[in-house]
Amino acid sequence: MSSISNRLFSKSTLVRLATFAFLLAVGIPEANAFRSSAIAEAKVDAVRGPQAAAPADPRTMTFPQLKFQIPKTERVQLKNGMIVYLLQDRELPIVNLTSYLNVGSIYEPDAKVGLASLTGATLRSGGTLKTPPEKLDRELEFMASSIESGMNADNANVSFSTLSRNLDRTLTLFAEVVREPAFDPARFELAKSHAIEGIRRQNDDPKGVAGRELTRAIYAGHPLGRIPTVATVNAITRDDLIAFHKRYFYPANMILAVSGDFDRTDLLRKLEAIFGDWPNQSAPFPVVPKPNEEMTPAVLHVQKEVNQSVIRMGHIGIDKNNPDLYAIKVMDYILGGGFTSRLTQEIRSNQGLAYNVDAYFDPGRRFKGPFIAETETKVESTARTIKLLESLITGMTQAEVSEAELQLAKNAIINSFIFAFEKSSAVVAQQARLEFYGYPKGYLDNYRDNIARVTRADVLRVAKQYLRPDAMKLVVVGDEKKFDQPLSVFGKVQEIKLNNSK
Amino acid sequence: MKSVARCLVALAILVNAATCFAQGLAERVQEHTLKNGMKLLMVERHNSPTVAAWIRFKVGSVDERSDERGLAHLLEHMLFKGTKTLGTRDYAAEKPILDKIEATAQQLMAEKVKREQADPKKIEKLTAELAALEKEAEKYVVKEEFADIYSRNGGSGYNAFTSKDGTTYLINIPANKLELWAAIESDRMQNAVLREFYTERSVVMEERRRSYDAEPEGKLWETFLADAFNAHPNGQPTIGWMSDIENLTRTKAENFLHKYYAPNNAIVAIVGDIDPQKTIALVERYFGAIKPGTPVPPVAVTEPEQSGEKRTEVIGDAEPELMIGYHKPTLPAPDDYVFDVIDMLLTNGRTSRLYKKLVLEQKLVTSVSSFGAPGSRYPNLFIISATPRAPHTVAEVEQAIYQELERLKTEPMTHEELQQILNQLEFEESRQMASNGGLARNLTEYEAIAGTWRYLIEHRQRVAKITPEDVMRVAKQYFTRQNRNVGYLTKAEGGQ
Repeated sequence: MSSISNRLFSKSTLVRLATFAFLLAVGIPEANAFRSSAIAEAKVDAVRGPQAAAPADPRTMTFPQLKFQIPKTERVQLKNGMIVYLLQDRELPIVNLTSYLNVGSIYEPDAKVGLASLTGATLRSGGTLKTPPEKLDRELEFMASSIESGMNADNANVSFSTLSRNLDRTLTLFAEVVREPAFDPARFELAKSHAIEGIRRQNDDPKGVAGRELTRAIYAGHPLGRIPTVATVNAITRDDLIAFHKRYFYPANMILAVSGDFDRTDLLRKLEAIFGDWPNQSAPFPVVPKPNEEMTPAVLHVQKEVNQSVIRMGHIGIDKNNPDLYAIKVMDYILGGGFTSRLTQEIRSNQGLAYNVDAYFDPGRRFKGPFIAETETKVESTARTIKLLESLITGMTQAEVSEAELQLAKNAIINSFIFAFEKSSAVVAQQARLEFYGYPKGYLDNYRDNIARVTRADVLRVAKQYLRPDAMKLVVVGDEKKFDQPLSVFGKVQEIKLNNSK
Repeated sequence: MKSVARCLVALAILVNAATCFAQGLAERVQEHTLKNGMKLLMVERHNSPTVAAWIRFKVGSVDERSDERGLAHLLEHMLFKGTKTLGTRDYAAEKPILDKIEATAQQLMAEKVKREQADPKKIEKLTAELAALEKEAEKYVVKEEFADIYSRNGGSGYNAFTSKDGTTYLINIPANKLELWAAIESDRMQNAVLREFYTERSVVMEERRRSYDAEPEGKLWETFLADAFNAHPNGQPTIGWMSDIENLTRTKAENFLHKYYAPNNAIVAIVGDIDPQKTIALVERYFGAIKPGTPVPPVAVTEPEQSGEKRTEVIGDAEPELMIGYHKPTLPAPDDYVFDVIDMLLTNGRTSRLYKKLVLEQKLVTSVSSFGAPGSRYPNLFIISATPRAPHTVAEVEQAIYQELERLKTEPMTHEELQQILNQLEFEESRQMASNGGLARNLTEYEAIAGTWRYLIEHRQRVAKITPEDVMRVAKQYFTRQNRNVGYLTKAEGGQ
């Protein structure tokens, strides 16, 4: 669901634009760029005949060859070890920079869950030792520049965008934010209070509740399965943020990606100047155990008096180094990708049971990511829809997909590959992420060929090997009094009681 | 483009630089109007071998009569179902069954709408008949064939959306396949068949449950808007109320379709790796012979002046939310530009007035935003939305917002504030051009609602002329208790 307001230009993302539905889309836009990241090539397209004068038939049209090469970015290593990817693009007078640091919530202690997220938020909002927060806000916003920071499970991201005429000053402020954040006490307390308010509100949206509870169930006992509570957030001090920053923010732990309207030599000289004397750290990274890979089924119910049930199911899946990644991508597409998928055709289009239904493996970068299937249906068709979802997933493991399904999936993935390279900012950030997560050399160059090699037998083999319909965690948020059948038909039901104050 | 970029760097004075860049967009948009009235806007960009193609119909949910509420949106879904040649194995054989489905469904609706007086046996019989007919029709369906063809050709982001003002169909396609887009979209414009209608209607009901019924914030939004407008269809939900959707028929949808979804009501933007002359020829070849339909008549009803504050409470299983809306004119009225300035003064960024006061100083809310809504073709609302931070209440937040609005009436905007706004607009003018899709969106949107995409290049020049007195005058005129609508979400008793 898009939430675009009818204003001339979108404003900075600082304020949460609420989920007001000004626009109703026919489908839910693909959210995860990494999921569809991949790769496509011209050679798969048929060569088109002479230009026809009469309108052509979309079923049989052929096309001229597409000229496309993956854009070349430049990789430079600064003297202090910091890696910089560069892609100049002078179409618009704008420069974008994004950076990734190897740090994240997987490294925070159990008693202080929320530390990484607070550090990420306060890094920018808390100002710097040279530039207090109010001045930083004022100066950036007057220039129409923005610097933002955040921290996820396995990375920190600090980025800026600016008109190119303000590049020097924005870059200087960016370096201050990264190297010497002040974590201003008032801004820290503010961020903490917002985190606590977020916890109070975490049960408002049934879809949010279901997604969270599924992650907790799949990653029980692992850092990826933790969520902040009022107690863990209250336990976090400003000194914790300072220490967390000091330990993980250093040049050799950081990759930059810069695109837009800049002068290469000038920019590299400035980067050396502002980061050159920033010392590296040598503290070893904490060892984070692997998630539990043993799969056991569970049925979890959250009572909400709503007219539609949220259904989520899944289990632990694969990581990015899995040699079957490409066959799994093709299988994903056939089972749960887009309008043509089996799930959408049966559950949505044939039976009218849902607006949104999909399923996918999220290949983990550091650890195995989950397989997740999701939909929402009116409470009266809850059990029926769960059974359908399960049977469609099971179906993938029982027979080969059709040749038509296979070709559609492969062509779709291969031919849409180019859309990962539309914007220079996306191209350069992608290169940075590939190195950041240690993707094999040639990952992008070989992607299309790797997809093209997948066979029907491969799809069945990976479905049997990686899909475990017998061992899924099922989460249902809905009004059990109105279900068509009790959830106990799927197994022993565990009730989850919601609590906003923990 | 290089010359434009250089010209920007060379100029030191911001407003002049701004004009320079706006000319960049002005020079890059190419226009062409077909004889049947279809408007084509093109921007050539060779950054990647891709094209964004957007078709905007100037018909949206404000154009529905009361027994058609939800129709524009349902039709948006239905136009994914194919044509007389796509999405079907044999339209000649399929058509009689589709007609039987329609007759049966209408009988069923006519019986159901009798409610307590309805005959349950008749309902049961008709329901079974309808299901059997739909099963029979399924044999002829080629499922999701538009999506299938687009996908296997590498189409990306294939979607459509409906707003109060219009309906848009969009796709990103590899540049060598623009003709595929022309072939599919011209077929869709002329030959759409609304097959699988009643199943898709059920999908829309699920969409409604997902976005409004089971989502407290969505429910507040919908109720707030409905209460703010006594007469104008800006207040009716785009998706329709549940009972509206339950009574929409294929016949109604077809009438709406054949009247309005025609080239004279369409604006097309094609942005990306194109040759404009060849693109004009292509579009002429595929769309040129399509007959114009009925121009969309203006909505006749005018919202009566509000005669006192309206308050809307929605009780839900969620923490409090607040929204405050004031009726205001829409673009291109001069006061609408002043509201754009007020909007940015109040909530754009960490230095904005409401953010500073409510978030940083008084710590009453975790976020605050403002925007014009719900549509732009007719007078709309200036809305401020805020998320209170416990233990602060909606009432406290409301009062704090009013204080800031009072300040706007008496304390002139500073020169620096206006300059910051102009700088931000300058940045956004460039940023909007960074993606083919974003630019196609803005071109079609403003061509449709402002009458010309040139609104995009004139906007900042208009804003630059706004004075502190304008802001005070507009604040005094519109931010009154009488003109105010207040909506809030209250947590249900017994909730946690």
